[in-house]
Parts: sequence; structure tokens; C-alpha cells
Amino acid sequence: MFGSVIRVLAAAVLLCSAGSVVAAADHKPITLEASQDLYKKHVVPFIAKHCASCHGTEKKPKADLVLATLDPDMKVSSSAGRWALVLDQVVMDEMPPDDKPRPTKAEVEAVVAWIKAEMKRSGKNLERREQVRNGNSVPHRLLFDPKSAAAFDAASRVRRLSPEIYEAFMRDVGKGVNGLGQPFSPVGYTTFADMGSPKIDEPITALLINNALAIVKKQTAFKIESGEFKKIGFVPREFEALIDPGNEPTDEQIHAAIRTQFEKVVKRKPTDEEAGRFLSLMRQNIKDAGRVTGVRYTLAAVFLLPEVVFRSEVGDGKPDALGRVRLAPRELAFALNYALSDRQPPSWLLDEAAKGKLDTNEGVAATVKRMLDDPKFTKPRILRFFREYFEYGKATEVFKDAKAFNGHDARTLIADADRLVEHVLEQDRQVLFELLTTRKAFVAYRTAEDTKKKRIEARKKFEEQKKKDPKKYANKTLKLPGRSIYESYGLDDFPDKQPTDLPGDQRAGLLTHPAWLVAFSKADENDVIHRGKWVRERLLGGVVPDVPITVDAQLPNEPHHTLRKRMRVTEETYCWQCHQYMNRVGYPFESYDHFGRFRKTETILDPEATAKNVDKKGKQLGPVMREVEANAKGGIEFVPDKSLEGDVDGAVAYVEKLAKSEYVEQVFIRHAFRYWMGRNESLGDAKSLQAIHNTYNESDGSMKALIVAMLTSDSFLYRVPSGN
Amino acid sequence: MLLPRRDLLKGLTLGAGGTMLSPLVAQLQAKAVAPATPAPKRFVFVVESNGFTPQQAAPVDYKRKSRHQRPLGGASEMVDFALTDHKLPNALEPIAPWKDKVTIVQGLSGKVCGGGHSNNFQALGAFGGGRGNGGESTAILGPTIDGAIARQLPGIFPHIGLGISKRLENNIIYNVSAWDENKGLPTMCKPDNAYATLFGSVAGGQARQEFAAKNNLLDFLKDDIRKAQKGLSGQEREQFGAYLETFETLRNRQSRLNEIQDTLREKGPVVSDKYSSTVETDRLDAQFDLGAAALICGLTNVLTLSSAAGVRDFDICFTGLGLTKGKHHTGHGGSQNGMTWYEVSQMIRRFHFTLIARLAKKLEAVPEGDGNMLDNTLIVYLSDGAEGHHSRCWEWPMVMLGNVAGQLKTGRYIDYPAYGFKGHRTTGNLYTTFMKLAGSKSDATFGMQDPNLKDIDTHGPLYELFA
Repeated sequence: MFGSVIRVLAAAVLLCSAGSVVAAADHKPITLEASQDLYKKHVVPFIAKHCASCHGTEKKPKADLVLATLDPDMKVSSSAGRWALVLDQVVMDEMPPDDKPRPTKAEVEAVVAWIKAEMKRSGKNLERREQVRNGNSVPHRLLFDPKSAAAFDAASRVRRLSPEIYEAFMRDVGKGVNGLGQPFSPVGYTTFADMGSPKIDEPITALLINNALAIVKKQTAFKIESGEFKKIGFVPREFEALIDPGNEPTDEQIHAAIRTQFEKVVKRKPTDEEAGRFLSLMRQNIKDAGRVTGVRYTLAAVFLLPEVVFRSEVGDGKPDALGRVRLAPRELAFALNYALSDRQPPSWLLDEAAKGKLDTNEGVAATVKRMLDDPKFTKPRILRFFREYFEYGKATEVFKDAKAFNGHDARTLIADADRLVEHVLEQDRQVLFELLTTRKAFVAYRTAEDTKKKRIEARKKFEEQKKKDPKKYANKTLKLPGRSIYESYGLDDFPDKQPTDLPGDQRAGLLTHPAWLVAFSKADENDVIHRGKWVRERLLGGVVPDVPITVDAQLPNEPHHTLRKRMRVTEETYCWQCHQYMNRVGYPFESYDHFGRFRKTETILDPEATAKNVDKKGKQLGPVMREVEANAKGGIEFVPDKSLEGDVDGAVAYVEKLAKSEYVEQVFIRHAFRYWMGRNESLGDAKSLQAIHNTYNESDGSMKALIVAMLTSDSFLYRVPSGN
Repeated sequence: MLLPRRDLLKGLTLGAGGTMLSPLVAQLQAKAVAPATPAPKRFVFVVESNGFTPQQAAPVDYKRKSRHQRPLGGASEMVDFALTDHKLPNALEPIAPWKDKVTIVQGLSGKVCGGGHSNNFQALGAFGGGRGNGGESTAILGPTIDGAIARQLPGIFPHIGLGISKRLENNIIYNVSAWDENKGLPTMCKPDNAYATLFGSVAGGQARQEFAAKNNLLDFLKDDIRKAQKGLSGQEREQFGAYLETFETLRNRQSRLNEIQDTLREKGPVVSDKYSSTVETDRLDAQFDLGAAALICGLTNVLTLSSAAGVRDFDICFTGLGLTKGKHHTGHGGSQNGMTWYEVSQMIRRFHFTLIARLAKKLEAVPEGDGNMLDNTLIVYLSDGAEGHHSRCWEWPMVMLGNVAGQLKTGRYIDYPAYGFKGHRTTGNLYTTFMKLAGSKSDATFGMQDPNLKDIDTHGPLYELFA
């Protein structure tokens, strides 16, 4: 990882020295000497003044952190991680503690500038750290404090396309082309897949080139039949003129072909300058590589233009009084489009941008509403948000033994959960509350009717045959077609009506949905810890550190004990430091087994009965199990909303309690914000977040209103240019 | 007394004095005292579709009891014997001349992969899940072993994937190798196109043209990105910088290909009709040819040869062997040309080992260090369909040829205890072994752990295989 950072820096240095002087100072890492000077000038006095009383050199420094002796050379030492922590604490105003005098803005800025500069010099990837850090580490109270005064700081950025956008692009532009490969993948370790800004590496570009060539080959497919040129499939007229050996292409014909490719791929006409450069490339390529190959490679180049591969949020025009610039109209059109869709923006949207309709917030709001209301405009990103937020899609990744319960069908459960989310979104009232508490459920909604019919027929046929030949069928049992998926929901049969109502004392919302419960389970048991972690992070806005690498996170293999009993190992002092945030908020889901079925008892091994379970010769006949009462008692601690605190028993009461909390709602809004901005929130987003939350409240919890509010917020529309 | 060559040459300096050395001795001496650069290690994976019946991997004069497809469904003890006094199974006979370098490994499971007609990326990835869970998933949940080794042993081309597809129109497909999660590595299915990519710089005609056009394209985009980058700063500039760098790397590769033109011209393959043949055996033959040349010319250290691996291709028909029905037919027990399904699959497999033998012979013919190229190479044969047509991955037979500079104790037949028994191991353990052979210092076990084997230790490499 660091290797590539150094390479990038080296490339940046090279470019600077190659004549481009723009912002050279920002990108040239400082020298060790310069860094040490800055350290002595700004950091040493800062530490002495604000930190030394707790993190000085005395015997027991707070948090085991002695700042005065923390190595300022991050290249030769391992201090960078701790300096990053200092950076976080100072920037978030978490340190010095509230009861101590505040450092001045200039003091903080100087320390921050030095840490960042030294990190850059020593090749430590702070940017990546910031990208993947849990966004919850930004203090909630400051984000939702109306008096919050942090300056707006959403930096300008470019991001490569998401895998989904590229896939849709290939489907649209490369329809019917074989052998296209997906070059992009999510950065990983971020809360949502399309966050952060992973860089493009060489295998990606190699693949982009391959894909471009494969598509162009189809766009220009032809054969020569008895001396006659014949195109194969759909070949644009402008391309035909270039590849027909009977035609010597003129400049005008080349221009026309380039224009066509631009309109298809870049969604605009080439500028005169671009047209000129592509003409030269075409001529050169034809000369060096012959007509067909030359034409194809030139047309393929359009697919690789940075504008096609990246999403740009740089803005244009002069910064306003707050140092911000608004996204350029075309950038904004793409940003709005990709907020909801994976496909390229429709022409009406680009037209609106060109006509200046996106220049005002009202105009943007009207456009977003039009997108939301237009059934022809597909919006897969809305459902995807809920999938990624609740993470029930992971259900297919959990191996389950079909013999233990053959009614289990992870894919169907996920489809049901998807449909439930859609159903709640169709009502569009109190969306989060409903998702957490609804008693409605879709049960194998795609196949239930059909399976039910087939089962009735099979039963009928079986009875008839049994009647005809009772002897033959005496010992036969009927094997019903399809899986009994309804059992996952605790029902006796497929419902006749979808959605159906589930027993109110057994189920409430998505966290009690079998898809979610399975997603957070293991092959043969519940996963209290990860369920707890999910609630802690996604509803309670907490942070749970990653498992330390020294810990071999394993529960003891004691099938004769309940899961809760086996989890005692996590209560040892060292483990409890983190497990205190997870265990008790995960236990209430012990109301269900690992297939997501409601239960009152938990099955464990009965060693005594097993020992006795032998045949006459003393041979073991297999394990004997016994039932003990399922214990779903848990509790909530460590939350700012004190109304949430206290013991709970059982999942239903638990999620209902969570769903009523305004704090939980704000945490949900923070996650939506992260998803739609593609980055973690910062203190500079406080105003945007508060406005978004207000809109959600005033609209009776409408997701549509929430989306409009997000996409018209300053955080979405403005950027602070790099270097400001 | 025999003096090691290096010491002998160093000794010469002392006796004769540097300046007095004859040019030849000086040259030899320079070689001897130069910091010893170890010969590159190379890995070749040959992946044939439609399963590898364990019976066909056992020596003919050794009766291997077939295993049940369930936990504890076979022997509880490990079997380990030298191949010296045994006759290789029929399909493996072509590699008999290297019997002392062969390791046959049986009894490894890969249950996480899910099974089906093909395990796609999972076969070399030892991971499972994702779309189509429970069988035939095409999800890429991590690097495959060839991709991971390619990162460990980078060459001009970090990895080369060559293969054949059932579908003639296919040029580049993604179904067996991966660089990382969701990053498939291409398998080039058209030998003529693959030739253009690998040897285009020295070729004539179409391949030469493609090479020239690609150079122009890379240069053009380099300029274009530089232009776009101008005036940007901060994160945007770095993003563009990284993108620009990829074009520089690719352009650099083109230049390196140009630099080794003489080698490529001298040792590159001669394109024949086979390169564009519609007969699959010809194309596979051509791909082996091309792959051997790529290794010999130093284009790559990791080569994957896919014989119609992947769920969309496994039903290939080997018309070149006189067959008229595809592997699906054979997999379902169908006979043809007077042969049972078993004989048909054995014949097809034998054809693959004929190609492997030819590859081994070519590598053996190239001197390297004190030996030859084969000494530093490991050829691994397996099927993406594990142990059968409808694989369930209880077993995954593997055949290896080579010892990678003496690191493996070869000439053996090893059969691990059946699934669930103590001492049972997985494909992930074998791949961890490969990572170690490639020089990885990591202690991580490759791939995904089988959650149903949590009671036995499935971490680390297969220590038994090391010399």
C-alpha cells in the first residue's frame, strides 16, 4: 500500500518539475529538516501548553500516551498511528478535555498542518485512514448542535466510476459484446461500498482498454463478401465510412465518427481542440497500424478519457465568501443522476443542466423530484442503500447445512426483505420506524402462489395413486415440491395474501426478519457479537474497534452449553473492553435460532443421555439433544439518549424501544448522508445534517423528502477547492 | 576433490591477478562473484473442466478405496508412498519420464467452494459464497492462487491466462483467475490474439499493427490525462496521477517488450494454423506452445492454462480426439466411440498430460543456473470441477510436476485423511504451500476456512510436502 503512495507522490513530484507549477508547494513533501523545524516551532509549545499535564512524562500518563517523547519522525518510527489519533482528537475538539482551556484556531491549524505534512513526508496514508474510519467517530452532539460553528469543509474530489455504474454502462454501450470484464471493485472496509476514492491501478486500465476494444470491434464489425463490404449487426453510419475499404475517409468523415463516439460515450460533443487531436490520432493510427486496426484503437480511446472513467466534483467559478464553489452544472447533473441511478444521465437532465435549471437550489429540488417520480428513470440506488445499511444481503454468504432445516433459502429471504423495504418505501411514511417495527412480511412472494398450487396438485395426485394402489403406496410418503420457506417466518403454510401479518409478539421489522438474522449468524449458531456490533454502530452510533490481531476470536467448543454460556470468555477484562459495546445489545435476538425462526427454547447437547445412547454392543448411536429456555435478555448502555438505557427482554420490545428514539433516527440519517455523499460526515456538515433531519421530521419520515433534502444540501452542492 | 564452481573461480583471481585474466575467465568470474540472483520461480496452473475422478489419479497398481461423499466418508489415516515402484495412472503416463518430480495429492477438500459443474474462480481461490451460493457461484471473493503468486513474483506480465472456450466467438473471458476481490484476471481464448498481445512487438501483419496502435493509444491518453491534470490540485490531482501512472506502466511494458525483441524473435513461437483453428485440441496445443514460449522468454512467472474451465464452458467437445459428444454427456455416464465415460474422460485427460509433458520438455531444454528452467518451475494440474462432473468438493485431486528449486520432496503419492478426520487438509492448505514456495513470508492461510472443519486444524501449508 505504502509503495503505491510513494509512487504517486513520486509521480506528482516529477510532474511538478516537468513544468506544471500549479500548487506545487501542496504536493511536494517537505524535507525532514523542514518538518522538524515546524515541529519545534508549533507542536512542542502546543503539547507543553495543552497536553503535558496529562500526557507529560510522569509515570502514569493518561491512555499510556506520552506526547513529549512521541517520535516526530514518522518515517523511522511507528509513531504515525498515535499521531493520527492526536490529529483526530484535536480536530474533533475532543481533546483537550472540556474543562480545560481551548487552544486557538491558529494553534490547532498549525499542529494539524504539521501532522499532515509529516505523514505525507513519511509516506503514511492518512487519506486512506480517513476514508475507511468509522464515520461514527465524529461526535454526534456536535453534528446535531444548532450552535455548531465548524467551517464547511467538503473538499473537491474526483472518484472513479462505481462497479455498478460501469456495469450499466457496459450493458448500454456494449450490448451483446462478449468477454467484457468488470475492472472496478469497492474499496472495502468502508461502511458503504461506494465510499472513499480508490485509485486506478494497472490491471484496471488494462481491462478498461480490453473492454473498449471489444466494444469498438462490435461497433465496427464487417465482412467482405465476394469483394463487397458488408457490415455485421448495428454499425453507425459514421463508422461505416471509416472502415469500408472502398472509401478513403475524409477529415469530415473522421470528425463525424469521433463526434458520434463522443455522444455515445461522453454524452457531449467534442470541443474543437479535442476534435483536432482525435483527428491527428486517427491519421497516425491508420498510417501505423492500417485502416481497421487504426480506426478501432482511435475510437476505443474515447472510452478511456478521464471524463469517462471518473466522476468529477470539482466545481467551477470563483469561491464564495465561505471559500466554496458550487458544482459545475454538468458535474451536478451527473452527481444527481448517479445518486439514484447506475445508468448514464438521461438527455433531459443534461439539457436542464445546460439551460441553467440546476443553478438554484429550487431548480435542483424540482429536478430531483422529477427523477423520483419518473417511473422510467430507474433508481436502484435507493433500495441498495437499505441493503447495505441493514446488510441482510449477506445471508447468502452464510453456509447452512440443508439437512438441519431444508426450508431455508437465503436468496428467497433476501428477495422478501427487499420487497418489504420497497413496500415501506411505497407508503413513504415514518420509513425508519416502519422498517424497524412493521409486522408485515412478504413470504417467498415470487413463488408462494405457484408452489402452493403445485403442492395441492401433488397431494391430490398422491392420494389418487394411493387409492389405486394402496399396497405400493402403503409405505411411501409424499415429497412436496418446493421448499417450505414459510417455516422461516413461523407460519404453517404460504400465505394467500402478500404482504401478510406476522404474530406481533414474535416479529417486528427487519431486524427480526429471517434474512437479517441469517446474515448475522454462523453456519450452525447465532452470531450475538456481530448482531450487537451492527446495532451499536448502525443504530446507536457507536464505534467498536476491530478485533486486535493478537486475539484468536473463538468461542469454546462446548455443544452442551448455551451460546450465552460459551460467550463468558468475552467477559474477561481484556475482551470486555470491546465486548461491553456488543454483547448486551446483541442478546435480545436470542429470540430466534440461526435460521431466523422464532423460538422459546435453545437446543443443546445432552452429554449424559448421549453417553447412554448406545446399542447392545456399546456402539455410539449419535448425539442426544435437549431443550433449555432461550434467554433473550439484554440491555442498552453507553448511549447519549438516556431514555434508551436499561435492560430489555426479547427482540420485539427491544427494537420497538430503539425505533422510538430520535437519537437513533439521527444516526440513521448520518448513515444515509454517508451513503449519498460517498464519504464520512465531518463537523463541517453539521448544518446540512440538521436541515436534512428537520425535513425528515417535517415530512412525517418520508424517504423521498429525505433524499431531496440531501441532494439539495450544501454538502452535496458545494466543494472547497483543494489548497484552500 | 571437487570444488564448487563459484569458489573455484574466485580462487582464480587470487592466483592469477585480476588484470592477467583471459577475457573468458574474467567473464566467468564476473558471473561467479556477481551477487547471486536466484533464478525466478515459475508456476503453471493447468485447469481442465469437468472434474478429476480420484481413481484416475491413483497409480494403476494401487487400489484406492473410493470415498463416500459425506463427513468421515473414507480413510482416517494418511497414505504416503514413493512413486518409484509404482506405475502412474493411464492419464498421467505421458509425464512418467519425470516421475521423480511428480507429486500426486489426494484427499484435500474444498467444501467452501460449493461445487457444481464448475467452481469457477473458487477452484483456485479456495473461497465460497456469493451469487449462486450452493453451487456454481461466479463471485470473486478474493485473489485466486495464481493471482496471489503473480503479485509475489511479478514479471513483465504479472500473470498470463491462456485457454480455450467452448464458445468459439469468445476472445477474453473471466472465470478462473483473479487478482483480488472482484478483480478477475483475463483468460485469452484466441491463440492468435494472445500472440499479438504477447509477441506483437516482433510480429508482422495484424499483431504488429495492434502493437503499434496500442502504443499510439497509450501515448495519446498519457498526454490527455496530463492535460486534464493541469490546473488540478489535491485529491483530484492524485487520482489523475495514479491513472496516468497506469498508462506509463503499460507503455513501459510495451517498451520492455520492444527491448527484448531479440529474445522474443529467437524464442517466440511460430504461428501456425493451429493458432486460429476451430478445433479445440489445436487451440489448446497452440496455447501450451505460446505459454511455454512466454515462460522461456521471461514474459511472466505465472501462467494459467484453462481447458474450458468455468460453468459456461465445461461442456466442451473434444472433436480433435474424434469425439462427437461433449463433456456433459460424458459426465452423465454417456459412452461414445465404443468407450465408457470413464475411458473417454481418461483419454481427454491423457491428452492434457501429453501437452504438459511437452511443456516440461521445453522448459527442461533451457539451461538455467546449474540446471534448467524446469528445476525452478511447478506445474499444477487440477479440475475446476474438483472430483467429479457434479462436484461437491469432498475431494480435490491434484497433480504437481516440479520441485521449485528442490523445495518439495517429490516422487510421491499422498492421500490425506477423509473430510472431518484429524489430519484432513483443504485446497487452501495446498495453496498456502504454493505461496510459501513462491517466497511468501506471510503466515496467513490462503482462502476461506471451512466453518464445518472448525474442530480440526486447517491452517498453514501442507508441511508434509516440503523437502
